[in-house]
Amino acid sequence: MALSLTGYVVLAVLVLTIAAFFAAKSKAKSTANGDVRLLHSLPNYYGYNAAMFTAVPALGIMLIWLLAQPMMIENSVFKLIPERIVEEGSSRGLVMSDVRRVAEGLDIAVAQGAITDTEADNIRSEARDIRALLGEVGVALGSDVEPEVLFAAQEYRTLSSVGAFWMAVVVLGVAFIGAAVSIVVSKADFRARNTVERGALALLILAASLAIMTTVGIVLSMLFESINFFRLHSWTDFFFGGSWAPNFRGDSDLSILPLLWGTLYISVIALLVAVPIGLFAAIYLSEYAGPKVRSAAKPLLEILAGIPTIVYGLFALLTVGPALVSIFGRGDQGLLGVEWMSGATAVLTAGLVMGIMLIPFVSSLSDDIINAVPQAMRDGSFGLGATQSETIRQVVLPAALPGIVGAVLLAASRAIGETMIVVLGAGAIAKFSLNPLEAMTTITTRIVSQLTGDTDFASPETLVAFALGLTLFVLTLGLNVLALYIVRKYREQYE
Amino acid sequence: MNDMRILERDVDANAIKIAAKGVQVYYGDTHAIKDVDVDIQDKTVTAFIGPSGCGKSTFLRCLNRMNDTIDVARVEGDIRIDGEDIYDKAVDPVQLRAKVGMVFQKPNPFPKSIFDNVAYGPRIHGLAKNKSDLDDIVERALRRAAIWNEVKDRLAAPGTGLSGGQQQRLCIARAVATEPEVLLMDEPCSALDPIATAQVEELIDELRQNYSVVIVTHSMQQAARVSQKTAFFHLGNLVEYGETGQIFTNPEDPRTESYITGRIG
Repeated sequence: MALSLTGYVVLAVLVLTIAAFFAAKSKAKSTANGDVRLLHSLPNYYGYNAAMFTAVPALGIMLIWLLAQPMMIENSVFKLIPERIVEEGSSRGLVMSDVRRVAEGLDIAVAQGAITDTEADNIRSEARDIRALLGEVGVALGSDVEPEVLFAAQEYRTLSSVGAFWMAVVVLGVAFIGAAVSIVVSKADFRARNTVERGALALLILAASLAIMTTVGIVLSMLFESINFFRLHSWTDFFFGGSWAPNFRGDSDLSILPLLWGTLYISVIALLVAVPIGLFAAIYLSEYAGPKVRSAAKPLLEILAGIPTIVYGLFALLTVGPALVSIFGRGDQGLLGVEWMSGATAVLTAGLVMGIMLIPFVSSLSDDIINAVPQAMRDGSFGLGATQSETIRQVVLPAALPGIVGAVLLAASRAIGETMIVVLGAGAIAKFSLNPLEAMTTITTRIVSQLTGDTDFASPETLVAFALGLTLFVLTLGLNVLALYIVRKYREQYE
Repeated sequence: MNDMRILERDVDANAIKIAAKGVQVYYGDTHAIKDVDVDIQDKTVTAFIGPSGCGKSTFLRCLNRMNDTIDVARVEGDIRIDGEDIYDKAVDPVQLRAKVGMVFQKPNPFPKSIFDNVAYGPRIHGLAKNKSDLDDIVERALRRAAIWNEVKDRLAAPGTGLSGGQQQRLCIARAVATEPEVLLMDEPCSALDPIATAQVEELIDELRQNYSVVIVTHSMQQAARVSQKTAFFHLGNLVEYGETGQIFTNPEDPRTESYITGRIG
């Protein structure tokens, strides 16, 4: 497949980079008369240095150019679209996307040989049916092409190819200058090693800041969509209203409280299952189990953590739910002969399964924390004639308590954010109820259901998902920060 | 060494408290203690000295079966306290450790209040009839450990907030509170400054009136200052055991002499 101009430029820069590497290396060696010991740095460092200065600025400029060029072209093409074309109920954005589509279509048509390049630049919609032409090459358009749109599209194409040409010139120029300068400075006393070190540092900083910037980006995008939502829907109803009844014809009740209630109820049941079992498992593994049992049991327990949550969801729906129904439901045929539970999906189903999912989480964190309690504490207690369980109860656990609280909070934040188990196991009815055998719904389930299917991103019924997501994020972030604060405080105690 | 002048040590002809015969300890394949015989007297301070890794701490931990908490450790031989074999199956190591208290190298107060630290043993063993009785036990133990005046106003404060020397005396008070008959001390002053060391040494001398004290120490001056009897361990063997004055001024074994004059160690 033929490369685009951008592809050739990248290839050229890479070739130049490799050439610069070897050129700088041999230049450095020759300035030291072939005696590598006279060089400040090892020969390869001169090569790395040259490669770095050739590739990084050039590719960096290219990246910025590629991001900036479409925006600038759109701004100038934008002015070519007259008010007349922007129909009632439509927007300039929609017309612009038509322009882009036509421009792309022309590109494809040229590439397939349906028309020539000059034809594409001069073609007029009066002379030829552009819609049919583009349809032949596989670009389907929704309506006939207005002359103004076609003109804008042609302008778009021209500007793009001019921009691409200048980009190639600038990028290759920068690469050449970088290569030339770094080869010239590659003399015996040039500190290539230190320069490469700074390059490595910059790379690491870039990686770290990318992760942080992404988080900031996610939060900001949620925030903007949430602000859009609060323009359409009153925030008092969202935070303090008592009913959740989305209605895609409009006029919905969109309040977080019933969902929050379901979320917290299920999380509490999950923690009631996970914390005792996980903690006791951790105590057994860290205090009682011999090395053999420990080395076998710990990985087995951690297998639980590797099961995808959708599988837990299936387990909830197909095994735990029906089992609970056979105990608490089915009237006379049931185990207890009661009719308390009608369907497999219920708060208890989701809570139990989520609890199982959280066991390895709690146990492995608690295990680490219990192991961090100094052996001197245990010795001190044994030395006073305490038994092992007295020692654990009265010395080890109190010493480990802040850390265990931190672990439980982390588990709680996972429970609150958990999605697949509740989607399959909890049901879809938003309500305030204390009965754990009823179906309820959670914030995460509602986010899924509000965003699945055909969605209109201008209606509050869809945008509410972002407000829900943001609230959930703030909630779990708060829990995580609190947990980390507690864990850190605890660590200081024994260092 | 000025302290060497305190040689007039009043060693009464006390009854033998601990009698060890033919004790062997193995850590996995390592033979850590080789055939040690020693008789420790009641109401006496006995010091174990010797170079690092010579087995003195290991032997000390045999005396209250603390080696049981180490999986690979194996103890053979015969250790009797008041004539009773402590490695007999009928003996509950937990009960034994209440009778044979231990103070560790590094102060290890529990992350609890000062009061709860001292009350820990009495509570576990049910030594107090009621709350005021427990208060008395705690006060008596803290007084005996010579720390009462420093902490009496802040018994509810955490024990970990005390200074190193205070923490070690708190640990001694904690050990004393369970009314043990023997007190084992594993290098109790190694983490302390000279002033705190002097306080603890003074305390050890007072404890001698009620208990048989066995102390492991790296400091020969300390052994000379506080003990009446000294045992010198070397490479898992008990080389020499006798009156402290005798060991330090006129040792019988050339290895003992080399060690105390600083030639091996």
